Amino acid sequence: MNAEEAKKILLLYRPGTSDADEPEFAEALRFARQDEDLRQWLAGQSTVREVIRVRFKQIPIPEGLKEQIISERPWKTLVVSRQEIFALVAFVGVALLLGFVLLWSRPHPAENRLLSFENRMVRAALRNPDYGMNLVTNDLNRIRAYLAEHHAEADYTLPTGLSKATPIGCVIVSWEGHTVSMICFKTDRPKAANENSDLWLFVMNQTALSNLPGRNPEIASINRSTAATWTQDGKVYLLAVDGNEEDLRNYF
Amino acid sequence: MPAKLDFDALVACYYRPLYQFAYSLTRTESDACDLTQQTFYIWATKGHQLRDESKVKTWLFTTLHRQFLETRRRYNRFPHQELSEVEAELPTVSPQTFGQLDSAQVMRALSKVDEVYQAPVSLFYLEDYAYKEIAEILEVPLGTVKSRLARGIAQLQKILADDLSAENKANM
Repeated sequence: MNAEEAKKILLLYRPGTSDADEPEFAEALRFARQDEDLRQWLAGQSTVREVIRVRFKQIPIPEGLKEQIISERPWKTLVVSRQEIFALVAFVGVALLLGFVLLWSRPHPAENRLLSFENRMVRAALRNPDYGMNLVTNDLNRIRAYLAEHHAEADYTLPTGLSKATPIGCVIVSWEGHTVSMICFKTDRPKAANENSDLWLFVMNQTALSNLPGRNPEIASINRSTAATWTQDGKVYLLAVDGNEEDLRNYF
Repeated sequence: MPAKLDFDALVACYYRPLYQFAYSLTRTESDACDLTQQTFYIWATKGHQLRDESKVKTWLFTTLHRQFLETRRRYNRFPHQELSEVEAELPTVSPQTFGQLDSAQVMRALSKVDEVYQAPVSLFYLEDYAYKEIAEILEVPLGTVKSRLARGIAQLQKILADDLSAENKANM
């Protein structure tokens, strides 16, 4: 082994980890102990690695992310060990008799999925109104063509009132593995300097949800926004505005 | 590891490193949040298939990385091939100079590193995984991980050194 070969190996060496147990690191480290230049180089590399490592660890975590993840937990989260399965089966028999009424009164899992879809899309839009758009344009035809070309939902019907808003682009997003077309608009209300979009239409194939909103828009408040969901021609629509219900109704 | 793989405890334990890994791949808060949420969603629906509970963390990182690649392929037709065999040279910058860097600068530099090296480099710095585990997460052979890491680290350090040098010149 020469110094260059040792450097190539030691570039990946992380002091204080199990790396030192690996034979090739151990050999390169032995070599470095006998070579002053290499030893200094290794000390420098360790410093650089530590600085970069700390900077990676300093990536800030968005406030409320943990709570958001937990709130969107699907019902299937019930995970049991094999040993518990027999006890669980017996328990379920009893629980079915005693808990029938309770089960009826609980929210249906499918409801959570619709809620999860609404929450995920709207909160993501509010966090980052421009959402790193795939296409920036005021031309609705170009938006439709782009979405079609990229195999996202493009055969959607815009609510009549949405023509009052100015389109500013679109982005294809994903929800639980399903492709969602997100068309971004802006209302005429004053906006902050870094805010362009405050009205969003999401369109997804209805097969992504087992229970669906009705044909007429169902309105709900999410964070500081208001959103409406409905189903039409095989697609689920979600229209959200950074505003109140009155603002949203302008766009139907 | 959280006892009995309780969902809330699992989230509390791993959402931070998973988000940081996701952010280092996407450099967008909303995309990183979505990837992290999606990963836990998949865990909640499919995690019970995991036989070895000691592998939960690796499973979560693997799942997140798969989701990331899937998204990238859909949008960009991400070319997942080996790049040239040219060895990147390490920069000759004093290690102390690197102390001036902040997290955003490191993320910007990472975005300039060849895409195929970014995930291994992120795992290298974020987590003290053994190389075998990094290979498992990225689903590539051990030798490939090591060669990608060597090139990726060298590229990252070179980009950071160039950025620092340009910054210092601008401040003179």
